[in-house]
Amino acid sequence: MNAAQVVELLLFPGLTFFVWLAFVFEWLERKTAARMQGRIGPVVAGPFGILQPVADFFKLASKEEIIPQVADTFVLTWGPSLYFAAPAIGVAFIPVVGLQSILYNPLDLLFMAFLLSFSTLMAAMLGYASGGRYSTIGVGRLVIQFSSYEVPLLLAMITPAVLAGSLSIQGIVAAQGSIWYILIAPISFAVFIMASLAELEKPPFDIPSAKTEIVGGWMTEFSGNTLAYVKLTKNLSYVFLSALAVSLFLGGPQGPVVFADSNAQAALSALYFLVKLFAVGFLIFAIRTALARVRIDQAAKVFWTVITPLCLAQLALAVAMR
Amino acid sequence: MARNKVGEALGEMFRTALEHPVTEEYPFGKKVVAERFRGKLYFDPIKCTGCSVCEIVCPAEVIKMTPVGTKTVGNRTVDVKRPEFELYSCISCGQCVDDCRFGALSLSHDFELAVFKKESLKIGRSSNGP
Amino acid sequence: MSEPKPNDERQEIGAGLVEYSPENVMPFGPVHPSLKEPEYFRLILEGARIKEVVPRIGYVHRGIERAAQERSWVKNIYLFERVCGICSFAHSLGYTQAVEALTVYRVPPRAKYIRVVVAELERIHSHLLWLGLVGHWAGFDTLFMWIWKDREHVLDLSEAITGNRIHKSYATFGGVRKDLPEGIKERILEEMSYIEKRARYYNELVQTEETLTIRTKGVGKITQETARRLCCVGPLLRCTGISRDVRVEDPYAAYDEVVPEIQTSPDGDISSLLTLRIGEVLESCRLIREALEKLPSGPFRTPVPRVVPAGDSTLHVEAPRGELFYFVKSAGASVPARVKIRTPTMANLLTATEMLKGRPLADVPIVLTGMDPCFGCMDRVSVVDLDRSTEWACSGEQLRQLGINYYRRRK
Repeated sequence: MNAAQVVELLLFPGLTFFVWLAFVFEWLERKTAARMQGRIGPVVAGPFGILQPVADFFKLASKEEIIPQVADTFVLTWGPSLYFAAPAIGVAFIPVVGLQSILYNPLDLLFMAFLLSFSTLMAAMLGYASGGRYSTIGVGRLVIQFSSYEVPLLLAMITPAVLAGSLSIQGIVAAQGSIWYILIAPISFAVFIMASLAELEKPPFDIPSAKTEIVGGWMTEFSGNTLAYVKLTKNLSYVFLSALAVSLFLGGPQGPVVFADSNAQAALSALYFLVKLFAVGFLIFAIRTALARVRIDQAAKVFWTVITPLCLAQLALAVAMR
Repeated sequence: MARNKVGEALGEMFRTALEHPVTEEYPFGKKVVAERFRGKLYFDPIKCTGCSVCEIVCPAEVIKMTPVGTKTVGNRTVDVKRPEFELYSCISCGQCVDDCRFGALSLSHDFELAVFKKESLKIGRSSNGP
Repeated sequence: MSEPKPNDERQEIGAGLVEYSPENVMPFGPVHPSLKEPEYFRLILEGARIKEVVPRIGYVHRGIERAAQERSWVKNIYLFERVCGICSFAHSLGYTQAVEALTVYRVPPRAKYIRVVVAELERIHSHLLWLGLVGHWAGFDTLFMWIWKDREHVLDLSEAITGNRIHKSYATFGGVRKDLPEGIKERILEEMSYIEKRARYYNELVQTEETLTIRTKGVGKITQETARRLCCVGPLLRCTGISRDVRVEDPYAAYDEVVPEIQTSPDGDISSLLTLRIGEVLESCRLIREALEKLPSGPFRTPVPRVVPAGDSTLHVEAPRGELFYFVKSAGASVPARVKIRTPTMANLLTATEMLKGRPLADVPIVLTGMDPCFGCMDRVSVVDLDRSTEWACSGEQLRQLGINYYRRRK
């Protein structure tokens, strides 16, 4: 790796860029949810309240960290960094500017799947290590929900790989030059979105950290720095999953207009990527604002009886088409 | 059951998003209260005769009549009293306003009563009027 | 009385001993995001299902009944309307009507109608508050925000008529304190149309939105026999199909001329509570329109002397949550000798705990708040003598006989 790659990895379009996007996503989510509910959302911090998530992050980081006596301090000290690392590494594999991503491996779709499972595993470990009754119940629900949405999520991710004949995200993006996979495999896209809702714990699937039922679920006992990083990681996963959806189904940074000049083309492709990213993000906001929370047994039932068979059918169709 | 669908609220959501939000802009804008809003108590010392009815009826026991002088009635000497109000305890019910037959009390529209020193919410002989 | 022994679970549960081991107990409260007021519910779990709920109350007891014995009759109006914020006018009405019953003075007809209008406005505001909170507890924050947005219209009306949004301070002995302001009739009628339109939309939304119906249909089902056995009141009773309402059976204020139609709902679960309360909102809108149409002219207040003659008076009103009892005893002094309040949440508490048996843990907020609890109204402390193992109580038969004798005397 040379110096240019390191700079790219850390600044643009790597970590700092995606962390900034995470903050913007949270702001956008709060603003659109507020407008749809007739309120105004954040207005004080920065113009139109855009610095509000940043302000929240710094406020949480400046608070005292209270660790329960029964908690496992080793896990709680080192766990959050591992939890943050999962989506932070994942975003480096997504092509943003042009068709090349910063890091590349021929099998990186599998690595993405591993990172998604790893982040849930870390969440479960953190929740369980913090002790307390509400955390334990939250972790139980998290594990049940994870086992329900994991299979459809993976199946939905494999379908574009089958259609493109490649297991790397770059390859899948490149294969969508002529037609986007959302038009060929719309059911997979829908399933991917629903499973993302479950992964990100957004309504209707925000059961593991249901605020009004079990206080905070697996996040109950976090405070201060840990909570700041956990929230940042959740926002980063939000961006990460939206970026995955864009790359796998919407053709990544490709669009109808192509410039000859390579710099302008690079900027334009980044613009396409951002537009599609916000479109997917907005779709998730709209679904999230419109639905209530379901119970864990109902969520598991829906995933296993309705969503997985649909996904299998779509996958079979994709294999047949190839 | 056939009528049930998921996302029933979507239409209303988009309609609400296009309307003006209902949040009032206070404190960045002005808050308009109704005509009958019961805010801070205002006392007019000129109209007060010291009859002490307000002290008797106040539910929060905010009003204390203090002697300010004496006068002679027939062959007795009685205290002349004037009220002092501890407005930090006032619940703005308006019972004193209803019962004062001289019209010395009224409830204004002022509701921003947070102060740094409790004593600045005491009004009495040496105090404000409307 | 001996000192209570620490870690003695038996003295906390009282007469009904329940066998359980401490690992199976999930504490719900006293401080919990879904409880607006603190009460401690011990959920005794069996696996992931609830076997039994043991409530413990007393966390917001303020000693209001005792405080009332030291304040004059007029000061107590303001004390009793602060027993509860949401059903404040119902408490106000209960107290003022109970005291008026001890005097010979009668409330003029115009004041009776105005009292009906304000009481129904309060019912609308209370039911809308609860409906919004059901959305919040079910994770549906959008519904919560929309309903509370519409509730602001009702609160603005209340501010225009009475001067304040919640603690109205409007009823007084002999009538109401001020007449209705100029031009309020048209404004009320306009807002009623708006509220009716919105209530009909919400009715459709809660019936058809799939993620809400699977959380509320069949949840917390009680049968008519259970409801009768546990003596619940108010909407919780009416949602099982039993049609009882104090405004119809024992009319007070102007309810003998502006008669409400009792809304019932057949199923007895949370979903039918939702439809029932929306139905009551629509019915209240209709009652307000009728009362405004028939509003007689005349004085809005009869002056009543400040010292109340000796006697006892019992009165019940239909608060938004159910039947609210007021018992006022006067010894001819300038302060009441005793005022006792029995709030509807007190009667509904055991029914709510019964609704929870066998349900999974996720249903606890929805069911416990399905009875629309107002623990601030309800709280009381009872004295148990451990040495002599007695509690002061009357048997059901004694209470029933007392009630029969009272009504015979009143006729």
